[in-house]
Amino acid sequence: MTDQPVLTVNGAVHAYRGKPALRGVDLVLHPGEIYALLGPNGAGKTTLIRTICGRIRPDGGEVLLKGLDPTRVAGARSGLGLVPQEIALYPNLTVVENIETFAALADVPRAGLAAAVRRALELTRTVDRAHVPIKHLSGGYKRRANIAAAIVHEPSLLILDEPTVGVDLDARESVDAVIRGLRDLGVAVLITTHDLDQADALADRVGFLREGRLVLEGEPHTLIAEAFGERMEVQVHLVHEADAAGEKRLVAEGLERTSRSTVWTRLDAEGYAAAGVLDKRLREAGLAPREIRVREPSLAHLFSLVADQKLAA
Amino acid sequence: MQPFDKIAAMTRVMALNLWRDRGALLMTFLLPPLVFLIFSSVFAGTTGDDIKPKLAVADIARTRDSGRLAAALAVSREVRVEIVAPATADEVRRRVKAGQADAGLVIRADPASADKPFLIVADPARAVAAPLAQARVQQVLADALPDVTLRRTVAQLEPALGGFTDEQIENADSAAALMRQTPTHDDGGFFEREAIVNAKTGGGVIAYYAGAVMILFALFSAMQGALGLMDEQSTGVADRLLAGTAGMGPVVSGKFLFLAGQGLVQALLIFATAQVVYGVPVVQHLALWLPTTLAASACAAGVALGLVSLCRTREQAQMLSTFVILVLAAIGGSMVPRFLMPAWLQAAGWLTPHAWTIEAYQAILWRDAGLGGVYKAWCVLTVVGLFGLVVAHTLARRLRR
Repeated sequence: MTDQPVLTVNGAVHAYRGKPALRGVDLVLHPGEIYALLGPNGAGKTTLIRTICGRIRPDGGEVLLKGLDPTRVAGARSGLGLVPQEIALYPNLTVVENIETFAALADVPRAGLAAAVRRALELTRTVDRAHVPIKHLSGGYKRRANIAAAIVHEPSLLILDEPTVGVDLDARESVDAVIRGLRDLGVAVLITTHDLDQADALADRVGFLREGRLVLEGEPHTLIAEAFGERMEVQVHLVHEADAAGEKRLVAEGLERTSRSTVWTRLDAEGYAAAGVLDKRLREAGLAPREIRVREPSLAHLFSLVADQKLAA
Repeated sequence: MQPFDKIAAMTRVMALNLWRDRGALLMTFLLPPLVFLIFSSVFAGTTGDDIKPKLAVADIARTRDSGRLAAALAVSREVRVEIVAPATADEVRRRVKAGQADAGLVIRADPASADKPFLIVADPARAVAAPLAQARVQQVLADALPDVTLRRTVAQLEPALGGFTDEQIENADSAAALMRQTPTHDDGGFFEREAIVNAKTGGGVIAYYAGAVMILFALFSAMQGALGLMDEQSTGVADRLLAGTAGMGPVVSGKFLFLAGQGLVQALLIFATAQVVYGVPVVQHLALWLPTTLAASACAAGVALGLVSLCRTREQAQMLSTFVILVLAAIGGSMVPRFLMPAWLQAAGWLTPHAWTIEAYQAILWRDAGLGGVYKAWCVLTVVGLFGLVVAHTLARRLRR
């Protein structure tokens, strides 16, 4: 990737009334790259996005869109498209009418308006619903129309804030396909998401933001391999919640309780072999597991380690 | 692309939104003329053109002249009289208290007697009823019983002059007898009434309420439309636009144009109704009517956008707009005619766009005023509207952060 970065964030620092929100974030995004920004609530994702959109001037460091400061040069934002988390469209207007409106507002020349709208419809696969009011669309179409309105002016950087929140699996896959299509056209895509499976499947790079710092960044599978090596995740699903003695025994086996009280987990290099041994030992202790799963660690696992501050600094 | 294209795009959004919501469309354009018709019918009587108080009358004196007065009142077209039975003061009081009559008249003594022969009974809640009833009775007395007035005057003068001679008394009796036979319709009072030369009759209140309802609905609809600014923030449209080059400026300007246009169409419908139903000469005064309407519509749009921009949530904006619409309408004269208000409230009315709008329309349509009679209202309304627009633009920039 030798092209000029679409987005450059250098040591961005920002605080709200003395409370730090960003503590020196560095981020570079190139054309044709999908970057997933992950982090728990309050980690600074929204502040970083607002800084990139030119709505907040960082207290320190700099944010550049193709080399220009978006807070000082309005033209720097002409190559930026934002897809808000909400369906930021007019519900009584059709898909086409909405796209036309946002095209006009994004300075698309009148002569090229029809072609630009057509292109946005095709890229987001909404041509068949072009003349349906937004309020009558299914969740997946609404999400894609939401994207269409943000790409009609052919931005070089597309920011999607939780693009699949509250949609079913089919709709999510259709949105993912649209995002990949845009990436293939050379658009740099920055996604904030809580959907770690989506980030895993979609992102070329992910970044973990924690307490205003980018604590981990890289290609998802590389990060997972670095964090977990050969180890596999062994998940024990109990029939009933364990009593105090049972919990003691589970901890002694190196297991940790997950957010669900009947599901315990540990990382083990022995993988499937370890699962067999564990099953036998737990049964002997009177803790009959309903099921034991062995799987490769995921981005979700990595995320929980980072969020719990057990990894990276 | 020119900035105007961006503004036009937002105006189109507003227009399509209203067009697709047929219920809102009907209410926006059907309610104003309907409410105008209701208001003008309801308030047509309050200006005194056509007030006939209902009077409960008891003749306790039972003299010849008291009977003549009761009979004259009964046939009078100035009042609606009900002779009560039993003919007692208490029965009159009961009827007035029960709201069965606007006021009561008790004829306690012969009308010509030197004492106060009449008692007017009125409910304080209907303050205007007592003087109105009194005036109507005096009118009937002067018209139908002038001889009684003369005899009463003679009786009052007698002690001061140290008595009359027999001849004088005889002359007075003959004059009274003559007056009884051929009443001169002279109330013997100080006043003579003269109607303004070339004044039109019956349309004043109609022109008043056409203007009153126009500005009421222009502001009401503008507030509803301006609330869209809150929706744009909550649905993320504002975030989307602020991330680009457009910002919220075209949204505010587009809404302003649409809301001003909406006010113009509402005014057209109201004044068309006024012309067709009541014959208010709108078309004849179109040259002044149009700028007045444009200034009032722009004022409503600007005020609405400015006020909504001051709020941070839709709930705040909803409450504020309801409060402002009601208070401005009440003080400005959109509900009760301004000339019925106390002086200080009439003066306070000039702080509302309603008073300026209503006065401007009345000046044009009722008093046939020229440019000199309305230019001040145009200036005030336009400046207030533009000030609201500037506030909305300024506060929209606040959203960037």
